Amino acid sequence: MDAASTIISLVLALATPLMGGVLAGVDRKLTARMQERVGPPLLQPFYDVIKLWAKKPMIASPLQPVLAFGYLGFALVAAGIVTFRQDLLLVLFVTALADICLTVAALSAKSPYSYLGARREFLSMLSYEPVMLLAYVAVFMVTGSFMVQGVLDYGKPLLLVLPAALVALQLVLIVEMKKSPFDVSGSGHAHQELVRGVYTELSGYTMALVEVGHWAKVATTLMVLSLFWAPNPVIGAAVGLTMFFISLVVDNSYPRLTWQRMLKTTWALGFTLIVLNIAALAAGGVI
Amino acid sequence: MSLVQKARLKSLWVLHYDCGSCNGCDIEILAALTPKFDVERFGIVNIGDPKQADVLLVTGPANRRNQRVLRNLYEQMPEPKLVIAVGTCASTGGIFHNCPNVLGGVDKVVPVDVYIPGCAVRPEQIIDAVVLALDKLAGKAPKEGEQ
Amino acid sequence: MNPQTLVAVNVGLPAIAALASLVLNDKRMRIGIVSLTSIVLIVSSILLYVGGGVEFSPAPVYGTAVLALDFALLAYFLYVGYRARSPQVLGLTLLQLLPVAYFEFIVKGAHVESVLVVDGLSTLLTLIINIVGSVVLIYGLSYMDEHEHHLHLESSRQGRFFFYMILLLGAMNGLVYSNSLIWLYFFWEVTTLCCYELIRHDGTEEAERNAVTALWMGLVGGVGFVAAMFVGYNAVHSIALTELMAAPQSQLLLIGFALMALAAFTKSAQFPFHSWLLGAMVAPTPVSALLHSSTMVNAGVYMLLRIAPAIQGASLTYVIALGGAVTFVVTSFLAIRQSVSKRVLAYSTIGNLGLIIMCIGLNTGLSYSAALTLLFFHSVAKGLLFMGAGVVENKIGSRSIEDWEGLLGRMPLTSMVMIIGMVSMFLPPFGMLIGKWVAVDAVASTPLLIGLPMVVMVALGSAATTFYYAKWLGFLTVLPNSLEKRKKESLEAPYKLALYTLLGLNILVSIGAALVVDDVVNPILAATYPQAVTTPGYAIDLGFTTFPVWPLWAAVLAVMLVGASVARSKGGALSPPYLGGENVADKPVTFMTTADSEVAAEVSGVYLVSQIDEGMIDRLAVGAGILIMTLLFLVVII
Repeated sequence: MDAASTIISLVLALATPLMGGVLAGVDRKLTARMQERVGPPLLQPFYDVIKLWAKKPMIASPLQPVLAFGYLGFALVAAGIVTFRQDLLLVLFVTALADICLTVAALSAKSPYSYLGARREFLSMLSYEPVMLLAYVAVFMVTGSFMVQGVLDYGKPLLLVLPAALVALQLVLIVEMKKSPFDVSGSGHAHQELVRGVYTELSGYTMALVEVGHWAKVATTLMVLSLFWAPNPVIGAAVGLTMFFISLVVDNSYPRLTWQRMLKTTWALGFTLIVLNIAALAAGGVI
Repeated sequence: MSLVQKARLKSLWVLHYDCGSCNGCDIEILAALTPKFDVERFGIVNIGDPKQADVLLVTGPANRRNQRVLRNLYEQMPEPKLVIAVGTCASTGGIFHNCPNVLGGVDKVVPVDVYIPGCAVRPEQIIDAVVLALDKLAGKAPKEGEQ
Repeated sequence: MNPQTLVAVNVGLPAIAALASLVLNDKRMRIGIVSLTSIVLIVSSILLYVGGGVEFSPAPVYGTAVLALDFALLAYFLYVGYRARSPQVLGLTLLQLLPVAYFEFIVKGAHVESVLVVDGLSTLLTLIINIVGSVVLIYGLSYMDEHEHHLHLESSRQGRFFFYMILLLGAMNGLVYSNSLIWLYFFWEVTTLCCYELIRHDGTEEAERNAVTALWMGLVGGVGFVAAMFVGYNAVHSIALTELMAAPQSQLLLIGFALMALAAFTKSAQFPFHSWLLGAMVAPTPVSALLHSSTMVNAGVYMLLRIAPAIQGASLTYVIALGGAVTFVVTSFLAIRQSVSKRVLAYSTIGNLGLIIMCIGLNTGLSYSAALTLLFFHSVAKGLLFMGAGVVENKIGSRSIEDWEGLLGRMPLTSMVMIIGMVSMFLPPFGMLIGKWVAVDAVASTPLLIGLPMVVMVALGSAATTFYYAKWLGFLTVLPNSLEKRKKESLEAPYKLALYTLLGLNILVSIGAALVVDDVVNPILAATYPQAVTTPGYAIDLGFTTFPVWPLWAAVLAVMLVGASVARSKGGALSPPYLGGENVADKPVTFMTTADSEVAAEVSGVYLVSQIDEGMIDRLAVGAGILIMTLLFLVVII
């Protein structure tokens, strides 16, 4: 790997929070428009985060600051694994590490709402992680490699070969972005079922770190999704952005459902779609 | 204007607390959040968690029971923060002024930055008050370099 | 040092030390015996690993001794069966006693060229058994003192306890060196004996009952071995493992291997034989740490690792994989349901052994590598977790996870050990996760019909594992920012030595994971499988993907360091939790509610009680296990 591509990969990884922030702004604008409102300016999420950072520090447990940074830090590491074209399973595992930082930060403050949010966050992880793992296995079966580089080398767009798996990943994206109907653990701004769910006891700079970490996570996932049209990065980005848009439409069409329904839907639908996809490919002689 | 000051003016997260109001002002506050008035375009979000809120919107008069809760919520908000007393009851006690358990307006319990008279307050007045509060916040915001 | 001497030391010293411990029932002598034995065994096993393989037969007197002790053991089991009124124990012992007697006295046994064979696999197991085992023995010194204090025992029974614990180490060593099936079977039964005696150590009714269950399930394995011996002898006229392995695959041989697999399943507590391990949790924790996580249960895995090359390509191997996979996924979900600390760890052990067995069953170079990697890292981490759980249990007097809430504040040292131990079981950059990663890659590479259902099971089980460890670990960190002063935690020296040694080892081998694979795993494969994993020191390369071990460790450490400095520079005042504004003034985690009553906010663990019906799932598990065991034999008979 030469110096130039290393620097590009590094910059791209560190830029994921920025990309995610812009996407968050687009999210709020589009949501507003779907609700026949004007909505906040595109850069609103950045104003939010800067304001949060400048608040007087207040923590609910001594572990929170380190763990809040851990969430952002490990999300960036996961982004780096993608931008350095490494193993996809590793992206999943490091993201899990980030999620654990968040949930333990939420658990470490003895707060009922925070606790409830953390429990539901565990359930969210339980629902989307196996589906994501299976989807990556499907990618391996097609391209012969788990590495992002392998997908790039494959040459053909994965969307044409693994369409059902991509639909399963759409479900995963909705859970990861904490969008209705699966925003059980701590939703966007205007939803208040669990007060702020897993984010309840975060404030000021710890909330800012977690918010930025969330942007990085979403951006990383969208980067992986855009791999489904690897030959043409523009179309690939369009694939990722379309799935992002679909999440918004689903968010504004559905109320929040129970976590039991989330588990059942992601598992039943997710596993079925991917297994059928693989079976079809096997029958067709592709794998 | 520093970046921090600008961010503070453009992003205002609200905690809405009903101290004992008849809910008239509360409904008007919620109306302000609806698409017709759309305060989110000013960066205002009803966040519901004092730890992440900048502004405490209080309705209803302060009384002996809820003063503890009001004080508690106020203290759990990190600086810089503002309090807006919405409606006549929150400002002075309103028509409940002389009731046995009523202490008066919420300024008997927490320092208030903006008073909105009215019974019930209109959403346009609430938006006006928030803009007034933002000016106060700009003034309140520390100079560049301070925490 | 001469490998033959080292073997003699590894098998003989524990026997002598065990007797010494029993006879010299004195605390100071015991500390001396245990310390000396531990040091010698650790050194000896390292030397053996470095020294290389050997094949030899000890003097014939030892063969006679083994046989005599074997009959004595079976006679003792008959007595136990009679005393405990257990028809299973009686019947299963007779099913072994009569055939073995027939074989030795009527058929006049079989001559084995090299009774003891030491190869890469043996030395790996020796390292695990003796290093982890010795640490647990040292830990046991403190634990048993506290344990007997809690029970208000008048006279110490530690002599008996350490007799069986040390004897087990010797038996395990002997097991992994045995090439003759009679010797292997003997050592196998000795481990069953130690298991039975140690589970019933405290003498309660529950302990006696569970010990008998463990005994008869272990005896099922014994019967399997005896039958395998007969079958093997009929097939190739030999009871030497090397010859059974070298012979061309035949139906008769496969039946023999199926019987050995059955024995392995009983020893490693796979479905349907899992209940004995759960029942074994009544035993003092050093027993759980030694037998039921890092040593004895590995005997079953060892057996499968041993015979795997010979059953490649047969359907038998895939049934074994199925048994492991099903056990893995079901026990991972059952672990979510548990609120007793040792039961969580027990289910976790059974599950991880299932994962390892699945990898062995898939029988490729890659899956075999995965199995060895997982075995290595699991033994270290699980031993650590059990020991930590035992310390907590002794100090707070409870095994319930609910009482572990906020342990980080009350017992910071032990909690840190537990937290790192748990993290090392399922998160990167630790070795278990690396092993799991190799396992997923291995499963994904197998033929679709077999690989796909197993991938689904691995994915689900893996997610469930994350769930139950993360919730437990988070629960430890609940800090109620109350005003109570924290007492300084004091740990006895043996506890500290044992916990920190294993913790340090755990971290060290995880950082050096690539070196572990290179120096320990790959040499074992060299003989029988194509090398699937290369390691350029800093990463693990599977050809179609890599795991960058050192870059990942560097990244993780960097994140933690930067996070710590950000935390220190920004700081922040500690504020009470959000309780709807109802916080009581000087009791931050208490809120005021109806009639002005003050209620302490409570949080509890999540066990998915209404979603996971443990009783029903357990019955289904036994049924599924019986089906799989039946399938095991059907595929070789038909």
